[in-house]
Amino acid sequence: MQKKVIKYTVALILLLVVGYNSVYIKKLSEVKAASTVGKFDAAAYAQTFWKEKLTPGLTKANNLPELLTLLKSEKENAFKNYSHALGIGNLRYFLIKGEGKITAINENDISVTLLPDSVGKDVKIATEFVYGNAVRDALGILSINDFSNTMDMNNVSAELNKKIRTEIIPPFRAQAKKGDVVAFTGAIELNQAHLRLDEIEVIPVSLKLVRD
Amino acid sequence: MRNKLTILLSLLLTLLVVGSCGKKNGGDEPKKIAVIISTLNNPWFVVLAETAAEKARALGYEAKIFDSQNNTALETDHFENAIASGFSAVLFNPTDADGSIVNVLKAKEAGVPVFCMDREVNSPEAATSQILSDSYSGCVTIGKYFVQQMNKKGKYVELLGLVGDNNTWARSKGFHSVVDNYPDLKMVAQQSADFDRNKAMEVLESILQANPDITAVFCGNDAMAMGAYQALVAAGLANKVKVFGFDGAQDVVGSIKEGKIVATGMQYPKVMAQTAATFADEYFKGKRDFPKKMPVAVEMVNQQNVSDYLEVAKN
Repeated sequence: MQKKVIKYTVALILLLVVGYNSVYIKKLSEVKAASTVGKFDAAAYAQTFWKEKLTPGLTKANNLPELLTLLKSEKENAFKNYSHALGIGNLRYFLIKGEGKITAINENDISVTLLPDSVGKDVKIATEFVYGNAVRDALGILSINDFSNTMDMNNVSAELNKKIRTEIIPPFRAQAKKGDVVAFTGAIELNQAHLRLDEIEVIPVSLKLVRD
Repeated sequence: MRNKLTILLSLLLTLLVVGSCGKKNGGDEPKKIAVIISTLNNPWFVVLAETAAEKARALGYEAKIFDSQNNTALETDHFENAIASGFSAVLFNPTDADGSIVNVLKAKEAGVPVFCMDREVNSPEAATSQILSDSYSGCVTIGKYFVQQMNKKGKYVELLGLVGDNNTWARSKGFHSVVDNYPDLKMVAQQSADFDRNKAMEVLESILQANPDITAVFCGNDAMAMGAYQALVAAGLANKVKVFGFDGAQDVVGSIKEGKIVATGMQYPKVMAQTAATFADEYFKGKRDFPKKMPVAVEMVNQQNVSDYLEVAKN
């Protein structure tokens, strides 16, 4: 009888020890915080890139009317010297600047005629569908080796575009009127194998109304 | 003294013999490049394999194509044979993102660089470089066009590819990164059709019974887009439902021209294959700082620009 008591007591102690060491209780907030440690923070990366690289880099933006002229006369030279892309293929991106007179404020974009008038060229400034890699790649200072995986690169584009959609476009759209002159910087995507200069869409980085 | 000299000479001779045995493709013989492909039962992969081999030969190497027949065990045999036969690099289209890692690691241990084409392995360190279609960005562009074509509202279906394939999710995520910003676009069903035309037809036929009021179908590849279109024709809905694909297959590009399919994403297998062979050449010449993943741009084909892509799709 005594032996049985000892046997059950030892078994119970063992069970308690094993049970105690098998279950861990942690705060959910601690677990969530631990799982994000070391993860790439695309939003923070995009903010730093915008402030420290892109904004100062806008001084290197190509004058859009001059670039369009060069693309017509010396396409290969224009792509070789002024376009950038993190990947390979036909899609390339240019950092641009210009001024234009607003001819229409549409649901998804703003139509402008480039100035001076002698340029005679209409382009669209995207105000709704701001997506893709144009703003991330156009400056040409990022390298694919800066990112450990492609999803990080994609997320940087998404964060830059989100910033444009939420911070750059709304105050401008609220004030812009047909007939106003806008000074803009931004990025454009062009296909070097199938070049179409009649469909230029600017993804804006800065938009400023220039009124007389 | 004479004995010592004899021993020394013998040792030198032995070292020379052992050294020459271990040397791969010594002398003036060109280095050999293995092109190991998941399956040659699909014309898309045949183009990938033949282009890689042609480019390797053009760069002055011997090239041999191995067909893994979608079988990871057979792929393992090909890797073992390639390493044992003295191939100096592998241009690789994996059968399985996880199952193929071990093969790539075997080659790496043997000092043979591996360059993945079109499909990736789920290991950032195994392959020397992975050259892949930028499926995510391609589907961001398609997603944007989808929203424009739908006027930001309506019910739609998404047909996914193989759920275990990384490309399936890269495409789906890229598409949803745009479309999900529009709350009036409602996805009523999201189902896998395994990248297969017949399965896509069956899956959509079944979905249409419960959701005859959809106005669009987004498909993770062109084979499924063609299957979806067939299902819509059979249901008498072909003129009401917009179909979007991905790949740039010749029949879909033709269907875009005819107004049957709205858009697709054009991939470039030849660019991927040629880049992989060029990377191998650069590796032999001493380069080591390759990008772990090199995205290749995917271009959207729609009715406005389809004439630019009719020839591209043929090739």
